[in-house]
Amino acid sequence: MSETMADAGADTQPLIKVENLRKLFPVSKSIFREAHDFVHAVDGIDFEIAPGESLGLVGESGCGKSTTGRMLTKLTDATSGQILLADEGELIDIASIQRSHMRRFRRRVQMIFQDPFESLNPRRTVYDTVAESLTVQRIGSVQQREERVAELLHRVGLTPPEQFLFRYPHELSGGQRQRVAIARALVIDPTFVVADEPTSMLDVSIRISIMDLMLKLAEEFNVSYLYITHDLAVARYMCDRIAVMYLGKIVEIAPTEELLSNPQHPYTRALLSAVPVPDPAHKRERIDIKGGISKALNPPPVCRFIERCPRATDHCRTSDHPEFTDLGDGHFVACYNL
Amino acid sequence: MAQTLHIESRGGRVGTPLLEVQNLVMHYGTKEGEVSAVDNVSFTLNNGEAIGLVGESGCGKTSVALTLLRLLPDNSVIKGGDIKLDGESLIDLDEEQMRRRRWRDISMVFQGAMNSWNPVYRIGDQIREALRLHWPETLTYQEETDRIGALFELVGLNPVTMERYPHEFSGGMRQRAVIAMALSCNPKVIIADEPTTALDVIVQDQILRELKKIQQELGMSIIYISHDIAVIAEVTERMGVMYAGKLVELGSTLEVFHRPRHPYSYLLLSSTPSITGPRRKLAPLEGEPPNLLNPPTGCRFHPRCPFAIDKCSSEEPGLVEVGEGHSVACWNWQEVPEIGGLQK
Ligand SMILES: Nc1ncnc2c1ncn2[C@@H]1O[C@H](COP(=O)(O)OP(=O)(O)OP(=O)(O)O)[C@@H](O)[C@H]1O
Ligand SMILES: Nc1ncnc2c1ncn2[C@@H]1O[C@H](COP(=O)(O)OP(=O)(O)OP(=O)(O)O)[C@@H](O)[C@H]1O
Ligand code: SF4
Ligand code: SF4
Ligand SMILES: [Mg+2]
Ligand SMILES: [Mg+2]
Repeated sequence: MSETMADAGADTQPLIKVENLRKLFPVSKSIFREAHDFVHAVDGIDFEIAPGESLGLVGESGCGKSTTGRMLTKLTDATSGQILLADEGELIDIASIQRSHMRRFRRRVQMIFQDPFESLNPRRTVYDTVAESLTVQRIGSVQQREERVAELLHRVGLTPPEQFLFRYPHELSGGQRQRVAIARALVIDPTFVVADEPTSMLDVSIRISIMDLMLKLAEEFNVSYLYITHDLAVARYMCDRIAVMYLGKIVEIAPTEELLSNPQHPYTRALLSAVPVPDPAHKRERIDIKGGISKALNPPPVCRFIERCPRATDHCRTSDHPEFTDLGDGHFVACYNL
Repeated sequence: MAQTLHIESRGGRVGTPLLEVQNLVMHYGTKEGEVSAVDNVSFTLNNGEAIGLVGESGCGKTSVALTLLRLLPDNSVIKGGDIKLDGESLIDLDEEQMRRRRWRDISMVFQGAMNSWNPVYRIGDQIREALRLHWPETLTYQEETDRIGALFELVGLNPVTMERYPHEFSGGMRQRAVIAMALSCNPKVIIADEPTTALDVIVQDQILRELKKIQQELGMSIIYISHDIAVIAEVTERMGVMYAGKLVELGSTLEVFHRPRHPYSYLLLSSTPSITGPRRKLAPLEGEPPNLLNPPTGCRFHPRCPFAIDKCSSEEPGLVEVGEGHSVACWNWQEVPEIGGLQK
């Protein structure tokens, strides 16, 4: 299932390469009948993430962000497409990984969830939670594991670690629980972490310390993130590049500041123009778009944004969903009318 | 007849005081002791004005709103202070008199209300029910329907959708209908508690714009409550910053944002990311908000405050004027730098 990448310079290789990834959810009226209707949650997306890079995935509720993250961490199987992960000179195809490779995969790829209240087992202590991956992966002696867990708690700011090791989740605040979840994800030195709205349940003040912690740890551990958020200001703070998703498609992807200052897709423009700005003197240019987001249920093959698009032309109505146009410097956009 | 179609604010002349809150104190009684949720809060809302209350989760924003409406749970006690609407005190009204003020004089968009529509009744009928309970006269069925249609149009909903059930509405539509319901009896004041918090940004933006239009065109007075300071910046003219049950800063939104004088406001603003302006390092607010069962002595912010001086832990600062219409409760406000100043 893996191919070598001997023919390319290792430092220019992406850590993650996603090709034509799709996830369709069947919508069936009866459990006895085969489904004819499908929600195209993720419908053919491509992107790469370099080692140590943080890619933001933004878009409105239901556009397919979490489904993408769950496929990359193998919590959900892809319907089709490839997810290639570079590991020790090899490219592993996550989408069709063998059972025997799962342990190795779990060492490399971890996930942090939105809700620190749900993602931690209430009956396990902080130590048990953070040490779990080490135990499963049979890494180190008991004493080495204890040292490693204490070190991680220290790194995520739960100090002194002895005070936290044997607490249960209900004895921790929301911010502290998310720190435990981060420690759990990083304890086995993963190369890639999917963070799905990791701060959206937290208060503003705690939010910044968690974001700063994740930035610091990314640097120290050289991990890459797929950082999922609906908050563009948070994506700007956290990410090197941003991908904008709309109903299962990535419509624009660019380095963060380029995307914010020079958005090209009509959806990106509308989205950016709607973000409230914490400055009462700031006057925004408003871009109105019709209606609200719906579900991608059996979508026609045309541009996914067509019904809400202020720029749609006859060409859009008679053509397939547009391919990416390369605008240079890593800026790609999927639209016919630039 | 035409009167039932007319949607207005029954407040007075724009700019004159409408709602005056003075030294309000409210506690919740719990097994562990008293929770000091609203402590000595004072502010004025003028006719036609939009003001905001911001602060972290648990600082008492909803509690202030529920106290104004006297819609508090049984374990609460209003310990002191006064609430005047058009000069009339609401604190001394009995329950029946207060019941007649709610909806008609002050109405509220409750936090999370878009998820509390009754699933088995049509949206329009649920608003009809509110009209029957609170509209001063008895209306004919047709008059009710016409009024609901007019309310729907005002909040950007197609009147034919009043026949639909809650599950047939998107989140944004449900929230618009909540706002229509709050407007149903031509209130003088609307309190909007986290009116867009669970919504996507494009829908949030549309709803905030509609509320702003309603405020400006009808001369409506609105109190916005939000933990999101960017929302407060968008829609309000004046604002109050709450911390641990207290109002710690009050002023024009422009001034509080550009020159906050309270260390907490300063840190709150410094820790909010934005898509505009230079990409700057944010200053985290260390620690967590206090437990209101046992709030810190002196200034409630002192355990987290980088500007604290000796007396902060023992003496409580009162609100003092630091500029026109701008007041702050801090012993050391002169030391608070301009935004970005701490990081330099
Ligand atoms: N297990 C499932 N079964 C059926 N449909 C699903 C399932 N999971 C997700 N979907 C649908 O797939 C689409 C994408 O959902 P997803 O959770 O990935 O969106 P999201 O971008 O993460 O949204 P949010 O911002 O609300 O978290 C939605 O239409 C959703 O209803
Ligand atoms: N019924 C109650 N009994 C006891 N304590 C309560 C009750 N309701 C609220 N509290 C407490 O009062 C304080 C203020 O709560 P309130 O709901 O007013 O905060 P808030 O600022 O609206 O927060 P949020 O942003 O989370 O909505 C909190 O400490 C809360 O735990
Ligand atoms: S391809 Fe056409 S419909 Fe799609 S976003 Fe571009 S202009 Fe709009
Ligand atoms: S009174 Fe003292 S502790 Fe309180 S905010 Fe001012 S400086 Fe900080
Ligand atoms: Mg999601
Ligand atoms: Mg509240």
